[in-house]
Amino acid sequence: MSEPIIQIGDLKKSFGELDVLTGIDLEIEKGEVVCVIGPSGSGKSTLLRCINLLEEPSGGTIRVAGTQVFGDGKPQNLDQLRREVGMVFQQFNLFPHLSATENVSLAQVKVLGRSRGEADRKSRELLGRVGLDEKADEFPDRLSGGQQQRVAIARALAMDPEVMLFDEVTSALDPELVQGVLDVMRELADSGMTMISVTHEMGFAREVSDRTIFMDGGVIVEQGPPAEVLDAPRHERTRKFLGLVLAS
Amino acid sequence: MDAFFQTYFDFTIIEDNFGYVLEGFWWTIRLSILGGILSLLWGLVLAVLRQLPGKAFAPVRWLTVAYIDGLRGIPLLLVIFLIYGGLGALASEGVIPEAIGIPRWFGLPSPFWYGTIAITLTYGAYMAEVYRAGIEAVPSGQTEAARSLGMSHGQSMRFIIVPQAVRKVIPPLLNDFIALMKDTSLVSVIGLVETVQAGRDVYSETFNASALTLGAVLFLLVTIPLARFVDWMINRQNLKVQRGVP
Repeated sequence: MSEPIIQIGDLKKSFGELDVLTGIDLEIEKGEVVCVIGPSGSGKSTLLRCINLLEEPSGGTIRVAGTQVFGDGKPQNLDQLRREVGMVFQQFNLFPHLSATENVSLAQVKVLGRSRGEADRKSRELLGRVGLDEKADEFPDRLSGGQQQRVAIARALAMDPEVMLFDEVTSALDPELVQGVLDVMRELADSGMTMISVTHEMGFAREVSDRTIFMDGGVIVEQGPPAEVLDAPRHERTRKFLGLVLAS
Repeated sequence: MDAFFQTYFDFTIIEDNFGYVLEGFWWTIRLSILGGILSLLWGLVLAVLRQLPGKAFAPVRWLTVAYIDGLRGIPLLLVIFLIYGGLGALASEGVIPEAIGIPRWFGLPSPFWYGTIAITLTYGAYMAEVYRAGIEAVPSGQTEAARSLGMSHGQSMRFIIVPQAVRKVIPPLLNDFIALMKDTSLVSVIGLVETVQAGRDVYSETFNASALTLGAVLFLLVTIPLARFVDWMINRQNLKVQRGVP
């Protein structure tokens, strides 16, 4: 088996006195689809944000695609990291002053140095892939939350990332818009993309993920195939959490 | 009552001196537009310098804050005298070339340029604070999205943050512009016959304030429509916010 695409060793993160991650060890294989679940405050979003160094870890190491991007207490090779890791946010964070196509094209031109025409072609192709061909020239305020989130996914994919991070991407959506976004993610998973998704969608975790991770109190409590973690959890904390989530 | 009208609204005096006051107002307009444009640019430069990241740029940030606090803390009148007296003296001492010390660029007299420089220095500091408010009002998610796409700090400022910030602060910038336009009258103290000085000249000849009234009307012709326009923009922005548009 080839080297894992993400290797995290003893990752720690504190915000002042508050220890959010207290030692995470995690390896993710190329093409693997991982869902991270857990109660709020468990550190799952912080873990995701540490992986592309939007939060600077307090300690530990992170390697992405064979390159160390965090170690000895400081970020390294940040540019390479951000090119290889795409991220989608809970609040979409589309650029409101740019059209859907421009949202997807801007970083292709400015960061990857693609020509405007080449970038726009790629943008339209990706917008088609997420089902938004007809919205290519709309501005974000004319799009529904679900459509905005699909543009955000296209925007991250445009950079040809090796890994995609999804941070509770359906949590801010009206219920009827969730499915469209999950369908796009499912299709992406089927295409072989390496994905780490922090999610409250247990159904999505069950059907799509290769591995489900349950986090609580800044550590990974248990992990394994979704059938095991979700249907036959070994830990009391996992059972309790799933009891609360599935009861609602 | 008649005396009141005589003093402020003597149409003969207004008519006789209309051209003279209008000539002064033309200086007011030129000072306002050039000073306004340069302040807008200088203010943006200051605001961006103030936001530079990392330890290495700490001295730049510190100097920028000191500059902004300093220039906002001294009267514009004093700055005008400092520029006028300072540049003139340095030029006559031969420290700086006369073309800079006693500027007559584009055939315009040196008081105009001293005034423009002083206005830009002071109002640049005010406008820097307005831009800063706009930059800080852009949600942090915008920076995170830009950085997660691999953009540098400079790229995310240039393509993402500043364009959104400027849109948010156009109304307060226009308010500053109205204040700037009124403050151009201070340049009269170094010998530029702008609107207020023109009115005073007529007053000292005639002991009648009607030319000053004319000056006030000329100012209001510009400032009131601008103030209405600012209100209209603010209302439009509020409507957008109510609709949930970022």
